[in-house]
Amino acid sequence: MSESPQLTYGEIDRTVLDTLRPPTGGYWLVIMVLILGVLLGAACWVYQIFVGIGAGGQNIPVAWGTYLINFVFWVGIANSGTLISAILYLFRAGWRNPIARAAETMTVFAVSIAGLFPFIHLGRIWIVYYMLPYPNQRYLWPNFQSPLVFDVVAISTYLTVSSLFWYTGLIPDLAAVRDKATGVRKKIFTILSLGWTGKHEQWRHYTRGYLFFAALATPLVVSVHSVVSWDFALSVVPGWHSTIFAPYFVAGAIHSGLAMVLTLMIPLRKIFRYERILTMKILEAVAKTIIFTGLIVGYAYAVEYFLAWYSHNAVEMEAFRWRALGDYSLEFWIMVGCNSLVPLLFFFKRIRTSIPWLLGISILINVGMWYERFVIIVGSVAHGFIPHAWGLYRPSAIEFGIMLGAFSLFLLFFLLFLKHLPSISMTEMKETLDHGGDHGD
Amino acid sequence: MDRRTFLKIAGVSGLSFAASCTSQPEKTLYSLVQAPDDMVTGKATWYASTCRECPAGCGVLAKNREGRTIKVEGNPLHPINRGRLCMRGQAALQGIYNPDRIKTPLLKEAGKWRPVTYAEAEAIMQAKAEAAVRNGKGRVRMLTEVVGESLLNLASQSLENWDSKGPVIFEPFGYEALKEANSQVFGLDGLPSYKMDEADFLISFGADFLETWLSPVEYARKFKDMHGLRGQNKSLYFHVSPYQSLTGANADFWFSCNPDSEHFIALGLLREGIRHGNGRFLPEKVLTAIDTVSSPYTREKVSELSSLPPELFEKLYIHLQLARKPLILGTSTSATGANNLQTNIAVNLLNLVFDPDLELIDFSNRHRVETADRRSTVLEFFTELKSGAANLLLLNNVNPAFALPPGSGVREALERDSLFVVSFSSFMDETTELADLILPVCLPLEAWDEYGGKAGIVSTLQPTMGSLTGAPNIGDVLLRAAFGPQRPVKNFQAYLFAQLTLRDAIRGKRDWLQTLQKGGLFQSRKQEGGLQVALADTFQSTITTPPTPKENHLVFFAVPSIRFFDGRGANRPWLCEVPDTLTQVAWQTPVLMHPETLAARGLKQGDIVQIESRWGQLQMPVYETVGVHSKAAVVAIGQGHSAYGRYASGRGLNPIGLLSPELEPNSGGPFFAAGPIALKKTGRSIKLAHTDGSRDQHGRKIALSVQLKDLAHPEHHEGHGLGMWEFPLVLPLPEAYDRKTRDIYPPHQHEDYRWAMVVDMDKCIGCGACSVACYAENNVGVAGEARIIEGREMAWLQIQRYEDPKQREKITFLPMLCQHCCNAPCESVCPVYAPHHSKEGLNNQIYNRCIGTRFCSQDCPYKVRRFNWFVWQWPKPLNLQLNPDVTVRTKGVMEKCSFCIQRIKDAHNNAKNEGRKILDGEIQPACLQTCPTGAFTFGSLMDKESKVRKKVEDQRAYQVMGYLNTKPAVIYLKKVVQDI
Repeated sequence: MSESPQLTYGEIDRTVLDTLRPPTGGYWLVIMVLILGVLLGAACWVYQIFVGIGAGGQNIPVAWGTYLINFVFWVGIANSGTLISAILYLFRAGWRNPIARAAETMTVFAVSIAGLFPFIHLGRIWIVYYMLPYPNQRYLWPNFQSPLVFDVVAISTYLTVSSLFWYTGLIPDLAAVRDKATGVRKKIFTILSLGWTGKHEQWRHYTRGYLFFAALATPLVVSVHSVVSWDFALSVVPGWHSTIFAPYFVAGAIHSGLAMVLTLMIPLRKIFRYERILTMKILEAVAKTIIFTGLIVGYAYAVEYFLAWYSHNAVEMEAFRWRALGDYSLEFWIMVGCNSLVPLLFFFKRIRTSIPWLLGISILINVGMWYERFVIIVGSVAHGFIPHAWGLYRPSAIEFGIMLGAFSLFLLFFLLFLKHLPSISMTEMKETLDHGGDHGD
Repeated sequence: MDRRTFLKIAGVSGLSFAASCTSQPEKTLYSLVQAPDDMVTGKATWYASTCRECPAGCGVLAKNREGRTIKVEGNPLHPINRGRLCMRGQAALQGIYNPDRIKTPLLKEAGKWRPVTYAEAEAIMQAKAEAAVRNGKGRVRMLTEVVGESLLNLASQSLENWDSKGPVIFEPFGYEALKEANSQVFGLDGLPSYKMDEADFLISFGADFLETWLSPVEYARKFKDMHGLRGQNKSLYFHVSPYQSLTGANADFWFSCNPDSEHFIALGLLREGIRHGNGRFLPEKVLTAIDTVSSPYTREKVSELSSLPPELFEKLYIHLQLARKPLILGTSTSATGANNLQTNIAVNLLNLVFDPDLELIDFSNRHRVETADRRSTVLEFFTELKSGAANLLLLNNVNPAFALPPGSGVREALERDSLFVVSFSSFMDETTELADLILPVCLPLEAWDEYGGKAGIVSTLQPTMGSLTGAPNIGDVLLRAAFGPQRPVKNFQAYLFAQLTLRDAIRGKRDWLQTLQKGGLFQSRKQEGGLQVALADTFQSTITTPPTPKENHLVFFAVPSIRFFDGRGANRPWLCEVPDTLTQVAWQTPVLMHPETLAARGLKQGDIVQIESRWGQLQMPVYETVGVHSKAAVVAIGQGHSAYGRYASGRGLNPIGLLSPELEPNSGGPFFAAGPIALKKTGRSIKLAHTDGSRDQHGRKIALSVQLKDLAHPEHHEGHGLGMWEFPLVLPLPEAYDRKTRDIYPPHQHEDYRWAMVVDMDKCIGCGACSVACYAENNVGVAGEARIIEGREMAWLQIQRYEDPKQREKITFLPMLCQHCCNAPCESVCPVYAPHHSKEGLNNQIYNRCIGTRFCSQDCPYKVRRFNWFVWQWPKPLNLQLNPDVTVRTKGVMEKCSFCIQRIKDAHNNAKNEGRKILDGEIQPACLQTCPTGAFTFGSLMDKESKVRKKVEDQRAYQVMGYLNTKPAVIYLKKVVQDI
């Protein structure tokens, strides 16, 4: 890092705390637009509750549509936050520090958004509590055999742990904000920072605690998306019933999460003038990781075809033939192209150090990963065991409305976060300076 | 705010919130103010009656619950249908409860309808009749459908009383070519029935006896008696026609021939027959005549004329020659073309030549539809009306404005100012719209009447429920209007009693009551052979046309529909919703064409094509099928109404508009074919509302068949079922679990019963009656055309149709319903235990518990689960038909076949009351109950003596996708096919 030696504690504080100054009118305009988007999504959902799930485009055989595609998509996005903040922390990959805060925040919001979709998806949302193991006179418990009950446990655990981890990491920074704040903000941040004074004893407990937390959170990175994959792998549907699903989904999730980190961080870096903190080196490191996850995902695609061929099962073979050549072949090739082929461009240094390329490719990966879920969720059941029952699915306008609402809600949360909480961990940046720069260097 | 106020407000608002958030529709149940003494709430009363949805006259039992008829089933005592019904019979309920039923008489005043009371309407009619009588003789006319003898007598007497001629009987399908042929060959102007069950070989020259022809339920049963597998034997059935039809799809071979060339083949067979010495015992005169007419039709000539390859003709002939008791049937219900009469004559002669005693033709038990008047009489009737020959016209359940081609003059006749038209119809159909007074009379299920579908049968009708609209019986209306207070009998019921007594059918009140209870008198009083058939040879002059090949053009056929018959079924939502089994298209009317025809014109399925004949044009979507000859375009009759209520009006298309209003010169019958036609691309296309995803099985073990000759060498079920090509039969019983190889989990233990079903695909003809019966029994929602296009049909039981990819005209039907698996994939994935495995092995769906994750459907390999995407509508009073024993599912809930669990529970209750176990065969799910061919068997597999258990041991038994080890409780018996 050629520039980092010039950074000082004060400069870090200044750069980060500057981002919390009162925003301009443009910011509020964007916030208003996003709120409108959220309201539109909410209106679509309310309409669907009153009319019935038929407001969407699902049918028999494709009874799951964009709601579960978006669910898996957002869970996938959420996956990389903890990877970056916990696993890379344990591995002492110093390049993670500038992006860890934003990635964790992304995780918390993404998993919250993801958690909404199973609710939106339900035919009878008003009795959703049947899924919870609450004591009742009928002695009825949820079916713990059902992967959907696994989901309830996995997602809620993940949300809890990642929120707490995020908050723990925020405490010293909240105190730093408190110190510079006045008026009501001061009061709020005083409460939020939980009496942090920066005493040696506090730092000792804090760093230990953070480390243990990171170690505890690590299995969740693997578990949450493995559990989501079991929604599919534990069924009999050709194209779902496969042992490769858990690692395949985890790799895909990290792939999409890293891409989302790039998509969010690049504009952030520009707007908040974070160039000296979020150096090109860091973006490059993310891009290199994306090459790796992209290769795993590509390998998974190939293995699925190998297994279908090796099984000699007519149903399985037809399912995969149709995937590439049938009605959803466009979606399939978008998936393969965006997830496995396009990331290979990062092998070229010129591309992975070019901001427009990085942003463009990261968006393409996000698109590709959305289509991956489409291909898996829709494409498999659409062409199942009984040819007479084959059918196609197209999302309805209501589903697009809800999807727009979800993206708006995510961006709304994220923008509010940017202006109200430090979007880069000052603490960890300072640690980085202390240790004489990046461990990797 | 103090604590108390807060609690009050919180309580009230909480309650009102909870109350307003109910997902259930209104649940008001109105009980009878004064229930009849014998009515027990929750217990059904069954009334025997007769189905009047077509002229066949099947016996029905109507199930009445708390005053409403909620289901009709076949009357097991009735000789015509023996307890079975077709889909149209099942849907008769949606006539009485049709939301578009006219509830009060309507009088047309200045082009607008004004409701009047029944008394006023009758008074108007009576006044009009009296005024007409004052105008002179024959001023009152009546057009009626085929009715029972008693009502016909009453109508004739009434008209006589008004100094007028008797009623004209109009049926759109009058079998005129067949009647004319019978008269020319047998000297009998009627429609004998056929003892198909006694034949060992059957050829049909287009007769669609499984769909609409004469008496489809009866012939479906008899057909399977003959054609179903018996031991290691099975008779042959060949279908010769340019259009395959559902009936032809059940044939062992469909001989596709040029349009209008069936008679060449029949005559060719005749020539071969007498050349080989058949018919030598016939009178010399007849034999010579046969020889004369058939001699030009050498094998080569026949092939040239009909496009039937010589080797196929040879096969057809050889099998005919080898048969001991062959039966040959004539042309279709809508006798299609110009040469129908020749075909039917040749068919009659073939029967005569190959079965000189005509043992298989029952000349005594003739079909009542023979009483229908000739089309020429009907057209003459309208011409007379047009010329002002009458002042009052009575219309009884006829719709000539729809059923006759536009140029027939119906509209002009009915619109004449000097003619007052009274329609007794309960529906605003095309003809009723033209009437001056609508006096709706009660529908058959609400009426006293009598209708014998065949001679020698008395089949009674009695009200199966109270009247919904207060409509009178047509008999009573006629009695009051024609005879006034001096009428000979009090009412039509008394008239019926008198008539039947007069016919020596019943003796006294007691006899009458017993007859009503049984649904009729079924001991045929007329003995067979009572009628002497006089052989005639007048046919010689008919078959004189030289054998000239037809020009090479496309011919258009309008064929009757198994769903709508002549169009009268088009306002029943079930019939629209259940797809035509051959095309799997619901709600729409496509034109069926051969792939070659389409390819030559650059058309594909779903394209809208304009069809132009000399008489009209129609724009309709194309359906591609090899089931029609490449020179034919086929459209089903029934839809395309411009009126007739919300379910019929503006849906589909009416092919009759393309037909000639003139009569076919030979037979005097109507044309149901038009040629040549021109096809024009419109460049537009639509999505067909079809319910199938693929016509092909893709080599999977789904709808299996076995060659007859292979039955002698049974294939052993081998392996553990771990691979797709191993195919053990794994019964859903504990003993079938093999924890060494294929099972991990312990077996389900069952208590007393393990319900299972055997579906004999050799018997399934794909008629779809089961599917409609299921809609009726289980309150299955009707989704509608748009929803079906979206893939949201609700049928719990579908007839899946699979084409053989090598010979696409070879079709296998597979009734697909919930398989009630022992290892059900749906059960393990539901987070809330809504799919639940019962102690008796049923895969129950607990609607109350379902939260709508739809995971069960995703995981169901058979895709038999159905989801309530919306709250389905039963526009009032269709809701009165709902079965009170079955929950009406709300939106957001999964549902599927329950094996009619309400019937199982009912049997449990009865058995418990009587302190016994449930008997084998005691439970009849609705599909099984109505199946005309008895393809279903239901019972407990735990009972080693049960019929299902016995049938499971059949070597043909298999399970669909058995290798998945779901251990389905629906076990199929392979269809038995034979190569010729």
